[in-house]
Amino acid sequence: METRSQLLNKPAVECVGVNKIFKGKGYETSVLDNIDLSVANNEFVVILGPGQAGKTTLFRLIAGLHLPTSGQIYVNGKEVKGPGSHVGVVFQRYMVFPWKTVLGNVKMGPQLAGLSKKEQRVKAMHYIELVGLNGFENSYPYQLSGGMKQRVGIARAYANDPEILLMDEPFGQLDAQTRILMEQETVRIWEKEKRTVLFVTNNIDEAIYLGDRIITMEGKLPGRIKKSYQVDLPRPRDYMEQGFLDLRHSIISESKLTL
Amino acid sequence: MSWKNKVSILLKKKIVLNLISVISFLIIWDSGVRYGIFGHYMPSPMEVIKELKKIVIEPISGKTLFEHIFYSLRRVMIGFGISLVIGIPAGVLMAGNLYARAIIKPVFELFKPMPPIAWISLAILWFGIGETSKVFIIVIGALVPLIINTYNGIRLVDEELYDVIRTLGGNRRDEIIKVMFPASFPAIFAGMQISLSMAFSTVLAAELVGAREGIGFIIVMGMKLSNSALIIGGMIVIGLVAWLISYGISYTERWVCPWKRDLSS
Amino acid sequence: MANREKKKKMVLNVLPYISVISLFVGWQLVVTLDIIPNVLLASPIQVAKMFIYKLSHAQPDGFVLWVHTVVSLKEALLGYFLALVIGIPLGMLMGWFKPVEGLVGPIFEMLRPMPAIAWIPLTIFWFGIGLTGKVFIIFLSGLVACVINSYTGVKMTNPTLIRMARTYGATNWEIFFKICVPSSLPMVFGGLQVALAACWTTLVAAEMIAADSGLGFMITMGRRLIKTDLIMLGMVMVGLTGVVISVIIDKIETRLIAGVRR
Repeated sequence: METRSQLLNKPAVECVGVNKIFKGKGYETSVLDNIDLSVANNEFVVILGPGQAGKTTLFRLIAGLHLPTSGQIYVNGKEVKGPGSHVGVVFQRYMVFPWKTVLGNVKMGPQLAGLSKKEQRVKAMHYIELVGLNGFENSYPYQLSGGMKQRVGIARAYANDPEILLMDEPFGQLDAQTRILMEQETVRIWEKEKRTVLFVTNNIDEAIYLGDRIITMEGKLPGRIKKSYQVDLPRPRDYMEQGFLDLRHSIISESKLTL
Repeated sequence: MSWKNKVSILLKKKIVLNLISVISFLIIWDSGVRYGIFGHYMPSPMEVIKELKKIVIEPISGKTLFEHIFYSLRRVMIGFGISLVIGIPAGVLMAGNLYARAIIKPVFELFKPMPPIAWISLAILWFGIGETSKVFIIVIGALVPLIINTYNGIRLVDEELYDVIRTLGGNRRDEIIKVMFPASFPAIFAGMQISLSMAFSTVLAAELVGAREGIGFIIVMGMKLSNSALIIGGMIVIGLVAWLISYGISYTERWVCPWKRDLSS
Repeated sequence: MANREKKKKMVLNVLPYISVISLFVGWQLVVTLDIIPNVLLASPIQVAKMFIYKLSHAQPDGFVLWVHTVVSLKEALLGYFLALVIGIPLGMLMGWFKPVEGLVGPIFEMLRPMPAIAWIPLTIFWFGIGLTGKVFIIFLSGLVACVINSYTGVKMTNPTLIRMARTYGATNWEIFFKICVPSSLPMVFGGLQVALAACWTTLVAAEMIAADSGLGFMITMGRRLIKTDLIMLGMVMVGLTGVVISVIIDKIETRLIAGVRR
């Protein structure tokens, strides 16, 4: 199945001269300054930067939850004018609906898209299996661990068949070991069902482990893109292999920050 | 294990302590009456039970015990029902619409500090001692917690949840139906609980002030007839009914909100 | 775009005042235009007049307004403080010491669902209409809120702090006084307002049923004499006084727990 952007030979996500200024009572904060960004189809791009770098704002702009002050954002060739199902979003705080079961959560997207009850269930179960939550479809979120809740978030975003997946520091709330496990799971899931992914993180190891390409942002406002790094290491990657460590070293030294 | 050890372990168990407590309470009560400590102001437990048995069959003022209970409960249910119909939409409106909030909230804050019972005299003047005045006051009493909890419950819904439904393809209507209501429901339900217990104590107060039937009326009759067994009997009935209602609500909550773990906030 | 925003903000700021003022104006008009007979509803102006009148005249119910208010306040505050002084320590002890919880618990559970108002006839039967009886009932109504809040406050003590204290060899009593009590204070203070509201409500009810002075009594007299302005004056005074005490308690609270997070 070729995506629309593949047919048009355009990038899956494109930001052109994007600026975002937040206005408060008598002050203005420039959060993003002149962002130019291009993501190819099925590319796994990681946006790396410390806190307060504007990453989340950029992410929300692409999702359509905010509008840019100037500049344009295109997803699959169409300009983003508001929120919608053009992207699948995985949130940092999981944001699973506590009043619905795992199944209820995951099939929310198909439900809103108008599929029949049977189709909803089939689709939802497919992704519940994909993320490894088989057997838990009738559990409520309060019965699940943090890692499991995030899997629900991933399955839920996937189930809506978006062409783009946006993940905003999805593993930030997990302990170190669960985090590594989830990183491996993300690669496994992504390789099984490829999508274009935009992944936001502040963790450099996570960035190198996951991404085809890493885009770094500075650590202060207004947020600007610093540099783009190509990651050519074959997957699954090893945190300790030479190529990994070399890339890590160059990113850190160029950022002059410890990430 | 020596029997001394066994006894001290037993004494630490909650159930044992509870039983000791209840039984000693009854014994102290009974002995107190027997030895005249309370003068003639206090009936013995047996006398209370006898009195209660009596009014189950013999009517007071034309109605048996259960008929009186029915009257009180009916007033509560009608008043509570009306307050639901007015209160929840009002809370929703205030939470959703800034203009509605600017208009309704100040008036609400003005009326909030007035205890519903203060309205009784006015209500009796307007509607007499019948059902209407009682239901009127119950509505006033039940509205306040309901509106407050509905308003706050909706206001405090995590904003990001709306983002979620939007990125799943939902529109504004989906935001309200699929996110706002389910997310705020635990708070609204808590408001309903408080509202119901307010309704119950308000109906009691109304019946104490002026009524011809109801549980409160039974107690007042006891007072007028200097029948202390009747007074205490009536109070026990009230306690039991109140306890049953609150138990029923907790049970309903577990059934209706299975996802709500006890985060008493 | 900015202009529309400013206009919206202005409207929203003014609406509350318009709303309240229209309420009073509407109220006055309804009476003046005889839409509702004056017997049933007194106009704001009439209530104000009665207020001024009652400041100095004991008629028609026997006491000047100030006396009524003081009587009500006295009864309410006495009962309230009694509830605090007994209820808060009791709740804390119940929260920490299992024997206390086991012995006092069931009795408390029996009393809890019963509205304090239910005690009024019994209290009148025992103590008559005087101060003692009223204080007793008000004490009961505030007791529940105080006990529950302090109990919950102690139960919610951070277990890590308790464990830490035990590693220092603290005894049960020491942990209670040095850790449980202080850390339960936010909950306790949260309950102060609830208890106050319960006390004030019960006071009014008690005064309406059997009393010879006090704001509740004044309201009832207004009904008996069919003086609607007296009734409504009483209602307003009840509301106002309640608000004033509530604000004072709030200010005291803020002073006392300046450092404690709510």
